[in-house]
Amino acid sequence: MGKASSTGGQVKASTLRRRKTLVAYSFILPNLIGFFVFTFVPIVFSLFLSFCEWDSGNPLKFVGLKNFITMFTNDKSFWISLKNTIYYTVVTTPLTLGLALFLAVLMNKPLKGRVFFRSVLFFPYVASLVAIAVVWMALFNPEKGPVNGILMALGIANPPRWAASTTWAMPTIIGLTVWKGMGYYMIVYLAALQGISRELYEAASLDGANGWQQFWNVTWPGILPTTFYILMMLLVATFKSYDIMYITTQGGPGEATKVLAYHIYNQAFKNSKFGYASAVAMVLLVIILIVTLIQFRYEKKFTND
Amino acid sequence: MKKKLVAAMMAAVMTIGLLAGCGGGSDASTGNDTGAESDAPAEDAAPAEPQQAEVAEATSEDVTIKVALWDYSNTEYYKTIFDAFQQQYPNISIDVVEFTADEYEDVVTTQLGGKQDFDVVFMKGTPKLAALVNQGHVYAIDDLLANDADFNKDAYAGLVDELSLDGHTYALPFRYDNNLLYYNKDLFDAAGVPYPEDGMSMADYHELAKQLTSGEGNDKVYGAHVHTWPSNVYMYPARTEAFKFDDPTTYENLIPYYNEIVAMQDEGLVQDFGMLQASNIHYSGVFYNQQAAMMQMGTWYINMLFENVGEGKENNFNWGVCSIPNNDGMGLGNCIGGVTPVCIGAYATHPAEAWQFIKYICGEEGAKVLASCGIIPGYSSDAVGAIFDAAPETYPNAPEGLSKYMNCEKNLPEQPMNAKGGEIDTIIKEEHSAIMTKSITAEEGVQNMIDRVNSALGQ
Amino acid sequence: MTSSNKLTAGDIVKKVLLYAALILMAFIMLVPFAWMISASLKFEKDVFSFPIVWFPENPQWGNYSEIWQKVPLLTGFFNSVKLTICVTLLQLATSSLAAYAFAKLEFKGRDTIFMLYIMTIAIPWQVYMVPQYKMMTIFGLTDSHLGIILMHAFTATGVFLMRQFFMGIPTELLEAARIDGLSEYGIWAKLMLPLSKPVIATLCLTSFTFEWNDFMGPLIYLSTTEKKTLQVMLRMFNTQYSSNYALIMAAATVALIPVLILFVFLQRYFVEGVATSGLKG
Repeated sequence: MGKASSTGGQVKASTLRRRKTLVAYSFILPNLIGFFVFTFVPIVFSLFLSFCEWDSGNPLKFVGLKNFITMFTNDKSFWISLKNTIYYTVVTTPLTLGLALFLAVLMNKPLKGRVFFRSVLFFPYVASLVAIAVVWMALFNPEKGPVNGILMALGIANPPRWAASTTWAMPTIIGLTVWKGMGYYMIVYLAALQGISRELYEAASLDGANGWQQFWNVTWPGILPTTFYILMMLLVATFKSYDIMYITTQGGPGEATKVLAYHIYNQAFKNSKFGYASAVAMVLLVIILIVTLIQFRYEKKFTND
Repeated sequence: MKKKLVAAMMAAVMTIGLLAGCGGGSDASTGNDTGAESDAPAEDAAPAEPQQAEVAEATSEDVTIKVALWDYSNTEYYKTIFDAFQQQYPNISIDVVEFTADEYEDVVTTQLGGKQDFDVVFMKGTPKLAALVNQGHVYAIDDLLANDADFNKDAYAGLVDELSLDGHTYALPFRYDNNLLYYNKDLFDAAGVPYPEDGMSMADYHELAKQLTSGEGNDKVYGAHVHTWPSNVYMYPARTEAFKFDDPTTYENLIPYYNEIVAMQDEGLVQDFGMLQASNIHYSGVFYNQQAAMMQMGTWYINMLFENVGEGKENNFNWGVCSIPNNDGMGLGNCIGGVTPVCIGAYATHPAEAWQFIKYICGEEGAKVLASCGIIPGYSSDAVGAIFDAAPETYPNAPEGLSKYMNCEKNLPEQPMNAKGGEIDTIIKEEHSAIMTKSITAEEGVQNMIDRVNSALGQ
Repeated sequence: MTSSNKLTAGDIVKKVLLYAALILMAFIMLVPFAWMISASLKFEKDVFSFPIVWFPENPQWGNYSEIWQKVPLLTGFFNSVKLTICVTLLQLATSSLAAYAFAKLEFKGRDTIFMLYIMTIAIPWQVYMVPQYKMMTIFGLTDSHLGIILMHAFTATGVFLMRQFFMGIPTELLEAARIDGLSEYGIWAKLMLPLSKPVIATLCLTSFTFEWNDFMGPLIYLSTTEKKTLQVMLRMFNTQYSSNYALIMAAATVALIPVLILFVFLQRYFVEGVATSGLKG
């Protein structure tokens, strides 16, 4: 009797679980099918390409690890691009994240002209990169630009030559990236801030928490998932970006602003080495996967608290 | 979880195994698979010999050929030539597929990768043509050339051979631009300095630039203008064949040229490279606005000067040309410059008609239309030369005798047919910018070029 | 800082500093736009003149009509609108469904599938552009709007964004709704979506901006002129007049306007507090 009822319970539990799973899949399938067919399949194919030589015309040739061996042992540009990518990412990401959060918190307060400021801060994100890059380069023109004009008026005899110098080209591009992107991430943060219940602030206020304490105890936990999202998206975006360099410096001077994605683009379209380009992309992917896994672990830890 | 990830990936790999065969048996959209590529997935199926375009007589039935190019909608001469072609071949209609100029090569590569049935493909230069040839996306035209009685190879001054790879020819040159030194006669007259001549050395050029530089600030006139392309340096030794684009053993001959130009920049005789790059300054305006007395540029600039300089226009001065300076004592000698090749796509539906089209536009008829628009065709003849020599009648600011800069002993392409051309181009561009911004010395930069190009060629 | 009505001297100083910082920021943000619009009204030769002239003496409105004549703007505009609306709606619908499952439902394979999504974000498009094109050729989806819509509507980023927002919504709220007898579909429609207005607005904006500004996709996939989008047409125009920055800036200004209108329209979702009454106190 007892035995039977316990199996009956198990059956019931498992049908329940199956039902739950079915419901869940009905939620994800509309997206998953399209995603799988149109994005995932070509991507997996291109990952498979990283073990091949392929020029998009001739039949594939499987070469095993050759692309990776070449990349690690015989491609100086790869190492330079990797170094530049890390430099670019490590500076751009925290800078953008910090500024976006700071601005979002400001914009979430009762301010006069809030709509105006918010729109203006968001402007650069929607603007054409070509237009913006041209202005940026004009402002930072080493000989005639207003930025150096001001610096010289302040008594700096030899101001940086910005995009025309191997030392300053990357900081110039980082500045442009942060400036263009922070408005968007501010909007994402705003969405999260709007999602935090007012009552929580009121309760904290009643407990006598000051502004700073409210931020740490109410705001911060509420926007943590969003912070993970932004961090992740920023990392990926900076790892993948090449269009800013393409438009402004073309990876130069020398290879000072050449990043991995730019290297990938060159290998694929300039050199028709689609297999090799995939191999470089694979490295990018592995780095991002590691970062994601670390983030997930932390996210789980924090959200379980 | 990891196992599942791997399993899911494997499943996907299997699904697309079809694609991996690379033949893609289903050719629904291209209709006619002319078999340039074997459908068999076997690796050794790659043909040792390139696929020759069919020699079969073109039919007189109505056919439509698909032509891929860029800048069609804003370039008048394309329409003129295409109309003239259709007058002569009323049964062939032309379906123009236009892509943006900057992304043209990427798009064409991708679409040919999907076996797009272009009959005629215009290319922007030799390296990418060579790459398409290696990928099997282009038909060889040897048989067509050999069997076509009215085709005259000599009219291209060696250019047809320059468009060959491993003994096979793949394209005809539509346009060919020599590089010249343009100078502003009015500025030379005002300074009381004799005009530059064919066969100058780099030191002569440097000296002239020094004599022509004057003024300060916004009124400054530079002796010369050196645009930001690497070719604005390597073109000088390339014309005498002291520098060969795809031969690193010749690269050290670049060093004296770099040193000369960097010295000119240091002395303020030419505008600063970093400034030009950062402010996106177009070379054309600098010379139109008389901010520089001399400039090395391709012959396409002749047409731009026709249009923009003269009586009643914004700028009015007399200009002249001479062959570009060099340290090997070459006078008129060779021509060097960019080629616009036109080829037949490997998935073409009507290769025979495509050939008729290419032969027409790259031949005497097409050349005359180009010449009348001030564009230099790949095909040269007395008739074409006469059109340029008559230029001062229509454009009084232009010099006499332009044709001698178009009919050269030898027409060299700026970049040879080498599938690694794109890669070499990138390397040279990067090192060029490092040298010109003085991040490294000319010797270091050239050594980097040698090392990097050697490793690219070795792969 | 929030609710006190009496302003101390310190508060006033803070306020002044805050506004000063904001105005400076706004100024820095606006400079390029001012330049862009100003350049679009100049003669080509004046575009790069130093020092910068912000108000051209003789505005060249003709630059705008020149684009209008050279580019079939209306066709491009309608194609872009069609693609953008289809992609945005499809993305909103499917992403929010999937995100709900990833954020709030327990099921087998959840983390694995989600990892696959994340993984794909990291691959640059240039890497799989050619294989994808080959595949689309086999499906016969090249040179068609449908192909582009299908390629862009099911993105990992949309799912990811929604999921992260949903994660921030307390699970207790859903439990309460389940006890009240709402099905999962009901919870999604009646609870999650109304709570997610800000993030829906954000996704709308992201998706719209991406699709509106994308030109590489349509450029490669669309060969027929009548099917081309505004960005492709403007890009074609730009490369044909590559030296003419005045016209390029006029084109950039034209392309920018729809996104700005949308942004102003969506503003209120970032301004109004979300109806928090549903949340337990």
